Amino acid sequence: MKASNMTNKILPTLSMLVYIFLWAPVIILVLFSFSSNRFGIKWESFTLQWYFDIIGNVAVRDALIRSLTIASITIVVATIAGTIAAYGLYKYKFRGRGALRTTILLPMVMPSVVTGGALLVFFSRAIHIPLGYLSITIAHITFCTPLAMFVVLGRMARIDWSLEEASADLGADRLTTWRKITIPVLLPAMIASAALIFPWSFDDFIITYFVAGVGTTTLPIYIFSQLRFGATPVINTIGTILVVLPIISVLLMRFLQKKK
Amino acid sequence: MERVPKNLRQKVAKLLTKQAHVPYVGPIALWMVLFVIAPLVIILYFSVLSTGPLGQIISSFTLRNYADVLKGAYGIILLRSLAFAFGTNMICLLIGYPLAYWIVRYGGRWKITLIFLIIIPSWTCYLIRLYALKTLIGTTGLINSTLLSLGLISSPLQVLYTPFAVMLGLVYTWFPFMVLPIYASLVGLDPSLLEAADDLGATPFQKFFTVTLPLTKGGVFAGTILVFIPALGEWLVPLLLGGAKVMMAGSLVEYYFIKVGNIPAGSAIAATITAIVLLVVYLGIKLGGQEVLERVT
Amino acid sequence: MENREGIPCVELRNVVKRFPGVTAVDHVSLKVEQGRIFSLLGPSGCGKTTTLRLVAGFETLDEGDVLIDNKVVNDIPAHKRNCSTVFQTLALFPHMTVEENIGYGLERKGVAKDKIKKEVGEVLELMQLGGMEKRRPSQLSGGQRQRVALARSLVLRPKILLLDEPLASLDRKLRKEMQTEIKRIQREVRITFLYVTHDQKEALTISDTIAVMANGRLEQVGTPNEIYETPRTRFIADFMGAINIFLGKVIATGSSQEVQLETADGLKIIAIKNKGIPSEEITGISVHPELIDILPEGTDLEGDNKFRGKIIEMNYQGDFTETRICLNQVDRIITAHLSNEPGQNVRFSLDERVLLCWNRHSSKILIG
Repeated sequence: MKASNMTNKILPTLSMLVYIFLWAPVIILVLFSFSSNRFGIKWESFTLQWYFDIIGNVAVRDALIRSLTIASITIVVATIAGTIAAYGLYKYKFRGRGALRTTILLPMVMPSVVTGGALLVFFSRAIHIPLGYLSITIAHITFCTPLAMFVVLGRMARIDWSLEEASADLGADRLTTWRKITIPVLLPAMIASAALIFPWSFDDFIITYFVAGVGTTTLPIYIFSQLRFGATPVINTIGTILVVLPIISVLLMRFLQKKK
Repeated sequence: MERVPKNLRQKVAKLLTKQAHVPYVGPIALWMVLFVIAPLVIILYFSVLSTGPLGQIISSFTLRNYADVLKGAYGIILLRSLAFAFGTNMICLLIGYPLAYWIVRYGGRWKITLIFLIIIPSWTCYLIRLYALKTLIGTTGLINSTLLSLGLISSPLQVLYTPFAVMLGLVYTWFPFMVLPIYASLVGLDPSLLEAADDLGATPFQKFFTVTLPLTKGGVFAGTILVFIPALGEWLVPLLLGGAKVMMAGSLVEYYFIKVGNIPAGSAIAATITAIVLLVVYLGIKLGGQEVLERVT
Repeated sequence: MENREGIPCVELRNVVKRFPGVTAVDHVSLKVEQGRIFSLLGPSGCGKTTTLRLVAGFETLDEGDVLIDNKVVNDIPAHKRNCSTVFQTLALFPHMTVEENIGYGLERKGVAKDKIKKEVGEVLELMQLGGMEKRRPSQLSGGQRQRVALARSLVLRPKILLLDEPLASLDRKLRKEMQTEIKRIQREVRITFLYVTHDQKEALTISDTIAVMANGRLEQVGTPNEIYETPRTRFIADFMGAINIFLGKVIATGSSQEVQLETADGLKIIAIKNKGIPSEEITGISVHPELIDILPEGTDLEGDNKFRGKIIEMNYQGDFTETRICLNQVDRIITAHLSNEPGQNVRFSLDERVLLCWNRHSSKILIG
């Protein structure tokens, strides 16, 4: 039968090809970051030399610290703001709820050049915020908070909210209920958003590039500047870090999820 | 006269309890207005200003920026971007839907792992991924060297800096975003509906087109929004994989804003892209139904 | 569908279906008579739904044969068998109207559009759903959705209609109405119904034949009367509500098929057995609560089975009160129903001492 032919032969083959296509470039990159061959494409021998090299590389170190700092601030602000917003959106039905939700969706969906460009113009021409740490952090918070909000919102349906009512019934005021009941209950969702925001902020290139101005180099921007030299071990190494760290972050989140 | 303050007090009290949501959604709403809506409005404002002979911005209304953008060489770039975005979307759909279907139907216990393996690459720095792809398909890259050493080709294939390479890069980057919503939609499909279709005499082919596909269109449209829009405004893919030969709308934005510093022109393109984005989102929700919003998030 | 007399509409021959760790259907053989309602009755997990799905073609069997109209259909896929299923969840297509749902099967067959319209219209009338054509399932009530599901299957005039606990999600009143409806519809279309349920009252109301299943095996097949009056095993008796069970051995027999059974704790009970059953095979007796009379302790009367005891529990159930009595003689609890009908001038209360009594014909023989 035609249909079973399709499903038994074509689909699995197609799927295998897709997985290979998606992962091959990345795996090869990671592999070559351990290759002792400086410029060639043949693998010579396993070495960690390139990793040791970048530890001593001041520019890389600075860029890494900048990226981590910005990511940390972003995670904290975006998660908190996103959680609070998700709470309000979930619990209260108010006019403009749908519109607000769609608006918050927008930064996640817009092409990066548009958000980056718009923010650049806004910062430099409209409200005169200096381009650098501040502008980058604001930009990151802008596109990461919606993510946090939607992640938390998505989990809210599965929570038993009668716990809050019980707390109120037993005499706790709003703030105490928040502290003792709501936040602990939402904590897994918040951690999940944090784990997802990290790669979004740490890895971000385009928007950061637009609003960074001169002199503030994050790790992705540093890589971009190195790209004009073609393929170098430095790029391979940092690239591997930029690929592996987020994967660890996401896997950690799944692992913690499963434990619950 | 004494009545008035009391009524007013009552009204304010009523207003306050009705607005219990304000402290929660207030901050994010404010932030959105300040850093999302306002910049877009500013862009719109700048897009209709003219530039003087020395490149500075003059406050006089003009539509010349839009005219420049939509005509001639730049108009072609915009059209090309639309074509690329559409092509990418269709390829991702035609490959992504069967993949999602395969995972859901035949994945069993490995469903989650399988879909994760698709999603994880999208969480990594896409600059690096594109760089990895570029090295792979370059003239000195692994693919060419392997083919050469195997004797299948006599000189390296020139893949980079062609429209094909750009298309490849676009699909490579945005493919996971088509698969996930479709997967989510398929997973939510009630299996007894498929059994009922079987029971009522539908062949597997008919079952797919009359039941499965209509019920998963939310996922399809969500995937379209998540692929078409970013592909449209791409800058990095054409830069790395297309070189100067293949430019897209995003390249123009970067060119005007950063390289040349022509804010009005850049704003015009950005505004045009934004308009198309809003149109696509609107159409997606209209055609795909409420489910689209859920699948996108 | 015309069928020669005597050929069962559906037949299962020694069918076995295994799932990892459990044999869901364990060597089941049965014959479903043409044009009747045949019920598979049993508790959850007894294999009745799996049996149904084997007939429908949603599961493949491991051993044995399934025959529809005397033809082996083991290898024929579900969408090619001439049977139609009403699912427990109804499985109405949410993205189609009532019309489109009902016409779906006909469309797949390639029937002409105007003919579809006609057939759909007719079956809508039969189901008393006139006027609902353009509605979506989400806009219908529970009972209406039931009828659409039925209509969708019936319009194809299958050889057999398979119903998987279709009324499980309805409230009691609606259930009773639908049971009558289903029976009426079956009589009118004269299609064979294979009905799965865990509700013995429902099975008794609807069925022409009942097959009781437990642990993947057939326990007993018979008319509702047979299953109720002469449950063969303790399990069936208990399941059908004859919850007063006395296990024991026959110690005496009489000339007119009366037997006296003695339990392990010394109770002696009189029953009437069927001619064909040898006394050695009898393992016990069951009695329905409603067949036991409760009388004041001091009542003096002639009767077969008389026992004295104390009322320990009373549960008001509307037209009767479920009463539990602990016997004086042995440590046993008997359940009886006390009628609450007006005219009953004897009232009992908790802790009161009473006399229980039932007729030998009310004792049902158990042989397994």
